Order: sequence, then C-alpha cells, then structure tokens
Amino acid sequence: MDFDTTVKLCIFQTIADTTRVPTADDVASILGASRQDVVQALHNLHRKRLLVPEPDDPARIRMAPPFSGIETPFVVRIGEKTHFANCVWDALGIPAALHADGVVETADAQTGEPMRIEVRERGPLPQPCAIHFAVPAARWWEDIVYT
Amino acid sequence: MLIFRSEDTVQAWCAARGLPQRPIINLDQLWQLAVTWYANRLTVESRRPAPEEMVGIFEAVGLKGPFWDPKSDAWSSAS
Repeated sequence: MDFDTTVKLCIFQTIADTTRVPTADDVASILGASRQDVVQALHNLHRKRLLVPEPDDPARIRMAPPFSGIETPFVVRIGEKTHFANCVWDALGIPAALHADGVVETADAQTGEPMRIEVRERGPLPQPCAIHFAVPAARWWEDIVYT
Repeated sequence: MLIFRSEDTVQAWCAARGLPQRPIINLDQLWQLAVTWYANRLTVESRRPAPEEMVGIFEAVGLKGPFWDPKSDAWSSAS
C-alpha cells in the first residue's frame, strides 16, 4: 500500500473513531512518519479530490469529505458521536461511510426552520424537502467550500 | 448544495439573492448519490468517481443534461 493511501486511511479512521479531523502532525505521530511526508500526502490527496487543506495552512484539513474539519450547520449524530458535514449531500454521506444509522440535524436554508433527517440502513426516512444545487457539476471544485 | 423544506422556500432563497433556480432533487436521489460517493470511504479502494463515471452515476438517479456533466463547457461564462 502506498503512503498516500496509508495517510488517507489514517485520516478517515481517526475521524470515524474520534470525530476529530486530524492535522498533519497528528497523522505523522500515529504513523511514525515525518511531518513533511504527511503534508506532501495531504497535497496529493487534495489533487485526487479526497480532501481540502486549509488555504493558509497545508498541514490542517478543512474538508475530508464527507466530514468537515470545522463546525457547520450540518450536524450528524451517529450513536453517541457528533460529526459535522460539509453540505447536505455529505450529511447523508456520513452514515453511508460509517455504515451506521444516524440523525442529521440541519435547517431550511431560507427560513431557518429546523430539519431532522433520520437515516436507517436503507436510507433516510421520508419527509417533505427539496435539495437545491446552485452550482453546475463542472464548477463544483472552483470553490468547493461554497459548493 | 442546500436543503429546504419545500420548493417554495428554494424559490424564496434564489429570489433573495438574485440567483436563477437550478435543479432540485429529492431525498432518495441524494441518498443514492451519498452511498455511491462515500460507502467505501474508509477502505483502501476509495476514490472520487472520475468525470466520465459521474455522468453515468447521475443518469442512474434521473439527473441528465449539461448541468450534471463535470466536463461540460456550458457554464464557462455563466454563473
């Protein structure tokens, strides 16, 4: 297994276990690797669109989709753990990635009305809602944080 | 992408920002996309789908046309 893949698995397993998105220093400590090598791996994984570093700090991860490195309006509860997602797609992606039931707590983007989506093995329980894509697929990664 | 209680609140959100309304999908479609994108995220094999694959993934859940084509040039000058 190549080093980029080792780093990728370390990042996502750490998030699954702790809910915390690790830094390059965290990953280097876990793997017994150099910080410089891990930062390079983060760069490579960004090019593969598997994560997004903080713009001003390549050693910190802003997004490891479906997980967010910062608190967002998309809260996902899996058992006793609380994760944050980057968007509503990723909010459903967290129970999908963890193969676990979950609850998404978010809000209507216009009215602020709280919305709660229960996700089971076969998918979310039905409820009235509309998911709007404001940005076409060809432009998603021009500003992935906005998308 | 954002979630709304109804298409009415989508329209209000777009109008408040002077933005055109774009495609709206339902919860089942979004779940299918979430599973396709992320079900193997904690595995060695996980990767983002290639652009050519994405077109097929979107079509499989009923989403067709240039909006859903990551290689489309239809949006180069439009927002």
